[in-house]
Amino acid sequence: MKLNLLVASIAIAGAANVSAAPNYVDFPVTVKGYEGDAKHSVSYSGQAARQVLHTSLKKLSGQGNGQPNAELKAKMLSYFAAKDAGRSILSPVTKGAFIVDQSGVDQLSKKKNLVGKVYKGSVPGWPGGMTGPEVLESMIDKASSSNKGYDPLTGYDYQQLISKFVMGAVFYNQAVDNYLDEKLAADIKPNSQPYKAGKQYTGKEHVWDEAFGYFGAPANTLNLNAEAVYKIAKQKSDALALADFNGDGKVSLYNEMAYAHAYYAAGFDKGGKTTYLHNIVQAFVDGRQLLTDAKGENLTDAQRTELKTHASTIADNWQLVIAEAVFKYAGSTYKDLQKLNKLIETNGDIAKEFRGYAKHWAELKGFALALQVGNKNLGETAVKLNRLIGFSPVLLGNTQVMGLDAKGNYLQASSIDMKQYMLHMLKVQQLMVDQFGVKARNKDVLADMGELADKLSSGVSAEND
Amino acid sequence: MSYENIVRYFIIETNWLELYQQVIVAFTDPKKRVFWGYLLLSVFVAFVWLRWFKRKDSKQAFFTIFSRKVWWSQSAKADYAIFLINKLSFLFIAPLIITQLAVATWLFEYLHELLGYRIIIGDEWPKWIIVTLFTLTYFLLDDFSRFYVHKLLHEVPALWLFHKTHHSARTLTPITVFRTHPVEGIIFALRSVLVQGILIALFVFFFGPKADLYTVLGVGLFAFLFNTLGANLRHSHIGIGYPDWLERYLISPVQHQIHHSTDPRHFDKNYGVILAIWDRLFNSLVVSTRGQFLAFGLSREEKKGEQNLFFIYFSPFKELSSLLKAKKSANKSKGEKLKI
Repeated sequence: MKLNLLVASIAIAGAANVSAAPNYVDFPVTVKGYEGDAKHSVSYSGQAARQVLHTSLKKLSGQGNGQPNAELKAKMLSYFAAKDAGRSILSPVTKGAFIVDQSGVDQLSKKKNLVGKVYKGSVPGWPGGMTGPEVLESMIDKASSSNKGYDPLTGYDYQQLISKFVMGAVFYNQAVDNYLDEKLAADIKPNSQPYKAGKQYTGKEHVWDEAFGYFGAPANTLNLNAEAVYKIAKQKSDALALADFNGDGKVSLYNEMAYAHAYYAAGFDKGGKTTYLHNIVQAFVDGRQLLTDAKGENLTDAQRTELKTHASTIADNWQLVIAEAVFKYAGSTYKDLQKLNKLIETNGDIAKEFRGYAKHWAELKGFALALQVGNKNLGETAVKLNRLIGFSPVLLGNTQVMGLDAKGNYLQASSIDMKQYMLHMLKVQQLMVDQFGVKARNKDVLADMGELADKLSSGVSAEND
Repeated sequence: MSYENIVRYFIIETNWLELYQQVIVAFTDPKKRVFWGYLLLSVFVAFVWLRWFKRKDSKQAFFTIFSRKVWWSQSAKADYAIFLINKLSFLFIAPLIITQLAVATWLFEYLHELLGYRIIIGDEWPKWIIVTLFTLTYFLLDDFSRFYVHKLLHEVPALWLFHKTHHSARTLTPITVFRTHPVEGIIFALRSVLVQGILIALFVFFFGPKADLYTVLGVGLFAFLFNTLGANLRHSHIGIGYPDWLERYLISPVQHQIHHSTDPRHFDKNYGVILAIWDRLFNSLVVSTRGQFLAFGLSREEKKGEQNLFFIYFSPFKELSSLLKAKKSANKSKGEKLKI
């Protein structure tokens, strides 16, 4: 009898340890005077809605047929700018064994759009001297009339450009330059009041939740490794089990799916050199716990300082994730240029390789623009980055887009040649290393040199022969 | 800045754990020449030499190898002190020296600019050809640059002042390799950084990911061979020589001992490390003579205080300033003569 009790208690202790890490779900209601029947105070459905608006917009961006298409443009704008009811989630959808719960945007949240939350400052890295919303509207317009979102004359892959820039200008900017910045101040959305009358979450709790929602990580991330979160974002066949932590047989697009920069963080972390995903989510969870512990009172100075430390951790790691992406795609573009140069010299068929080059360039550019819409003014680094990458990929005639004319058409002029552009890609990687200290360094053009240097070197010491 | 404050600064700033690790690592890392494995092998080789070629019995051989007169001489004690002092000072100096990766990266980018693009040679070649080419080229360039820098350290008066520290050793043990003035240490470090940096950049630029080094236990092939075959015996009193014809290709331990010899006929000879061909090329090669007696040091007689650490570290600077003053006044008088 005693033995059974012992075994049972060990088993229970063991089971309790299995799910040891906290998730971003079970935070209780702390709002004083709350009279509703919600059990938890976590809520970021508006942000989840915007995640699927983004992924759906990305899908639409690739559906052009090469002719001006007012219908497609209107549809894209409805996801980008309108608040229509009844918009269906075009992506992510059920894929094989990966069953998705919601199919309509309204099931997550109603009356949400992206344009209202886009960074409103100027975007010097894009031709035309436009603001964030203007850049995206221009891209949407051009995407709708391009063949599958790609314009071979300028080398613009609008699908990638739109997606990567939305992630930066909406999700990243809103999180690190709004919710985790100004909104943490004492006099804005205080913790002693509900966010809005009658809500089950305080001002600060909701502000924090919204930032978390924009990052795009599953609520249960701390119990998953980077590889698992990556698989979830990719909707792999074995990912349902990993994602479905409430066991209802479906992946909730609200808090079980992986999106946006969380997906990229997972992608870098699964290489084993970095832990961005867990750093960020742990900081989110710790901050949320701090707010729960405040028990519906205004934060003390000490608490606010601690909360801001967590916010800093999140912002710094998030910035690094984007810098790593810039690094990776600069490396991919470098390798594409190498292959292209070779094909050109041997008179090979470049069409496929060129499309790959354009895609990688657009990813590079989108992330580079995203890097510049955080909460820090990147100063000279931003200027260097924009000049190195330019307004468009270097095209076959050694031209690049240099600006926009009055009618909004792209102007091209002669630039450096594709061979010199390779050096620019190398310098972009160097810039990411020097200014941000990236560690994952995927597609490192200099990787081979680092390895050889390690093999040859035996340390510096004063030795004779 | 009082003396006390300076000492206090160094005591606080020194990462004592790192110093301890560096000292230990010198004997535990196969990349280092005094890795215990190499030392053991050197003892073994010395033993075989003394038993087989010199016909000594085991006891004699043992006491020859581990002679107190050698390992606990005034000079050897200075070696040990210098080893530790240099490890300490290089904790501060090493981070200031440019790395081979920095040199390689600079050259790699410069090649892009110079040539305008990146061309990969030998795309169709099997990897082993490129690895062999790199390993061989590195070996030759490394060995030649060591020879040449060593030659300069003897023949350029200002540099000799610092290299004298190493030659002031009266007894030779594997630790004597660390009897180096920090200034010379910096010069050697820069040589290594330049050779490695340039070669890495060139090979990776032109051959891409196939550029690699043959290694054994993580050590470059030739360095490994050199160390296993008794490189440590160069600084010893075990006069292991090769047949004449071989000594014209490979520097034997005794040929390096000749380099340290106090006999003026042996001055400025046998600069080579592994290959003897460079000394042949520059007419500085001496082959060994069976049974010759060698004494080591800067002069036949021992001078008072020549093993004093203070003297060893600071006299080169004093002599350097005298040298420069002498040059200045020589130039001045030369100029005055010309005016007439």
